Amino acid sequence: MSRQFNSAAVAYAKMDLDGFAKLEDVKQPEKVSGLLARTSKPMKGSKELDYTNPAVRVAKQMQVIRKYRDEINGTK
Amino acid sequence: MELSDQPSFDAPIPGQSLTAELGGRPWQNVSQFTTVDETIDYYMERMSSEEFMLQLADILEMGVPVTSIANSIQLSSVMDGTHTVDVGMLVLPMLMEMIMMIGDSAGIKYDDGMKDPNKPKTRDSLIAKAINNYEKEISDINLSGNDKEETSEKKEVMEEPKGLMARRN
Repeated sequence: MSRQFNSAAVAYAKMDLDGFAKLEDVKQPEKVSGLLARTSKPMKGSKELDYTNPAVRVAKQMQVIRKYRDEINGTK
Repeated sequence: MELSDQPSFDAPIPGQSLTAELGGRPWQNVSQFTTVDETIDYYMERMSSEEFMLQLADILEMGVPVTSIANSIQLSSVMDGTHTVDVGMLVLPMLMEMIMMIGDSAGIKYDDGMKDPNKPKTRDSLIAKAINNYEKEISDINLSGNDKEETSEKKEVMEEPKGLMARRN
């Protein structure tokens, strides 16, 4: 079967779930919710996970499905 | 991307986009789901139906790559006005993972579509060269290893105590 460029393959390959899991293990700073609290977003390159980022949310969903897959395959 | 010499008959006819009023197509209107979370929920619900799973299992068994299936599902939803193209792109990896999970649970040996069939293969001559180099290195290591053993044995034999207080036989 001939194949053309498929964006799905690229998107899937770019989704580094192992790296994501490592980032999740890093202790996230506690969010201050006071009125006078700073509302700065995490700096680029910082190890904070921004859960408002859609890609992070997708990665989280993927991680759950991957866990089920691993259970089915008995790999982990 | 390679350009083929064959003419493509799948391309739209020039001016085809002007055959409907602006906003007359579903993808030209506001999409049904605007966020990634909503879209994921939509797909989860759709993909967990038994009918969908059976159809998907049939398609996977036919040898259609997972990437192509995920892309088709996402693209058809964009055309129906369910979500936008960018949300579709974001959701694609999750769709693939879900499809692969269904394939795994059905015990199907599917093609994930991640391997590039056009990727140049390693030439036989290169493999032969690598084997030759490996054999050479292995033989060198053996020889040098023997030498070292011999020299260390000689040293052990030749070494005699030299100090003033050394015991003499």
